[in-house]
Amino acid sequence: MGTLDYIWLGILAVFQGPALISVFGVPISVTLVMILFGFLTGIAVGATPGLAGPIAMAIALPILISIFGYTPDALLPVMGFLIGVMKGATIGGAVPAILFNTPGTPDAYMTTLDGYPMTQKGQARKALRVAHFASASGDTFSDIVLIICAPFLALLVEAYLDFPEKTALLILSLSFIGAVIGGSPAKGVLSTGLGLLAVYIGTGEDFYPRLSMGSDHLSQGFPIATSVLGVLIIGAVFKEMTDLWHQQRRSGLQPHFTDEGNQRLSRSEIGRLLPVVGRSALIGTAIGALPGIGSTLAATLGYTVGRARYERTKSDTAPDFGDGAPEGVAATEAANSSVSGANLIPVLSLGIPGNAAAVFLILAAESIGGFNPGPSVFRFTQDVVNPELVIAFGLFTAMFIANALNWTIGGLFMRSMGIMVRIPKHILLPTVLLLTLTAIYVQETRIEAIWFALGFGALGYVMRLLAISPLPFVIAFILGGKLEESARQAFAATGGDAWFLFSSPISILFVASSVGIILFSATKKRQNT
Amino acid sequence: MRQSNGNLILGGMTIVFAVLVIFVWIPLDTQTGLIEKVRRQVTIGDAFAPTIAACFLLIGGLMLVLSERNAGGQPRVKARDVLFGLALAMSVTVSILVMRYAGPATLGLWNLFTGGEAEYRLLRDTAPWKYIGFLLGGTMMITLLVSLVEGCLRIKTVLIALISVSIMAMIYDLPFDDLLLPPNGDV
Repeated sequence: MGTLDYIWLGILAVFQGPALISVFGVPISVTLVMILFGFLTGIAVGATPGLAGPIAMAIALPILISIFGYTPDALLPVMGFLIGVMKGATIGGAVPAILFNTPGTPDAYMTTLDGYPMTQKGQARKALRVAHFASASGDTFSDIVLIICAPFLALLVEAYLDFPEKTALLILSLSFIGAVIGGSPAKGVLSTGLGLLAVYIGTGEDFYPRLSMGSDHLSQGFPIATSVLGVLIIGAVFKEMTDLWHQQRRSGLQPHFTDEGNQRLSRSEIGRLLPVVGRSALIGTAIGALPGIGSTLAATLGYTVGRARYERTKSDTAPDFGDGAPEGVAATEAANSSVSGANLIPVLSLGIPGNAAAVFLILAAESIGGFNPGPSVFRFTQDVVNPELVIAFGLFTAMFIANALNWTIGGLFMRSMGIMVRIPKHILLPTVLLLTLTAIYVQETRIEAIWFALGFGALGYVMRLLAISPLPFVIAFILGGKLEESARQAFAATGGDAWFLFSSPISILFVASSVGIILFSATKKRQNT
Repeated sequence: MRQSNGNLILGGMTIVFAVLVIFVWIPLDTQTGLIEKVRRQVTIGDAFAPTIAACFLLIGGLMLVLSERNAGGQPRVKARDVLFGLALAMSVTVSILVMRYAGPATLGLWNLFTGGEAEYRLLRDTAPWKYIGFLLGGTMMITLLVSLVEGCLRIKTVLIALISVSIMAMIYDLPFDDLLLPPNGDV
């Protein structure tokens, strides 16, 4: 089995999987249908303020698993749907940002700066077209980088890293994620510590489940769905409800603007946007490849770099950034969309999730089984087929199919989603809460899971009130078990050497970098205050 | 305007919590220490990983106290936010309790009036019993939360909640034989 054989098997797994429908006698595989369904759902969800891709993923996951079961055949349809949602939500977030000055997703905030002024000038549909073109271009570029980089990175990890180095790499990832997510490195590290502590409750290798305080309820530990959905979704719903309660008196009618002039993108306009899109796609991809740094930073950097360049080269009559420049919309959308593909580089090559969407892909893989994202996936075995590698190439194929959908029907569907902003958020959020709790219950089938999820939701709410990012918590919860297992193996492999983390130059480098990144970010924060 | 000392308080509390975890909770509530010798083989004990977690907490707390004590834009937690959060939590808790006990309680009343001896456990996958808890608790949850934000209780809200919960019940229950709506999985 060569590399090309694996790529071909991955493509076939998507196109020749179990057929769901037949069009003119041609069977259409269930994975294709799920990618399409996920993509359209993602656009609708992204276009709805208050909802986001992770919420749709959280609600859909137990339903999808019930439909497809716990077999390896379920992996591609379920993960294809999630990939579709991830990509759709990215472009959907631009719709309310442009039409109503309300970002559908946090990373679409920068899109409002030029998108809404374009709407005010009667160029709403043109702004949506610019956003779609930039978003689809950035996304496609990012996916190409993912497909080239992830296997090589995984092969490097497998070739050069043993158990001590892998343990040190996990510590480096957790330190990095803690230090860079959110505005405060200290709070990021605190959030990481809380996540690790939570995952170690009720687990371990001894007969007595550690830290369970003798309670039967804690003796099995916290199910991953309760902590992830509790902190990420339920905490966010509680916080959004509080914000809505504050905004009650600040309601008003949305102004209406009529489109004027040609709303299509001409070739010369596309040519003018291409350098902006290219620069932002590079920035977004580079940022996305680092775990934990989200698309919001990518959008901000893309916009800032785009503005600096634009101010030097623009004509006198062209609008400035912030006054409705199409380049402003393109710079933001290309940057935040190019994060999504690159964010899967650490997931697929190292097993380290870098954002909320990646967390749900790992959750799906863990729930279904048969696919463990990490360096072991990319074993190009010659004599026996490595099924995980076929799935990996199937996922790459799914991403390209989602891109193709984005280029073909994405723009049209996106432009019709302006209506979603009319859904009242204060009714939508409690419904999302109940849907999330029901999703957790049908997965765990015990009322205890709902209480755990609400407890984690309360924790997520308090964390948000204290400006502590919940994402390091969730990533630490997912990686905690792997960190302990890797440390145990490293300890055993080095013959019980307590200093196993310092047993090779690479692991010393990783540990030193962990300390360095925390010290550097703390010092930088101190200088800024 | 007075600088908020939120980070200092949070950092101090985190340090105290981390120290308690390392020196009280872990030693008292784990079976093995950091490193264990089993059959002449040295292995990592169950206390090792939680100690690493507590070290992260300790470092985070120290960073808050030492380097971010005077950071700008520190959040000021308002009492009314906490109270609203508590009201949200109470509403959800009461609704979940209604969801849990409404079905068995209704069956109990039914048995009382009809003289029957049916058990809820045996009827938990049978209409209408399987829907009672979910519909009542779910409708109550959505109604209470929406009313908290709106500041008033309206019939329209109850109707919207009931319709939403009914659709949800149909989505999860009708197409799947193996899915049980809450609380029917473990009653």
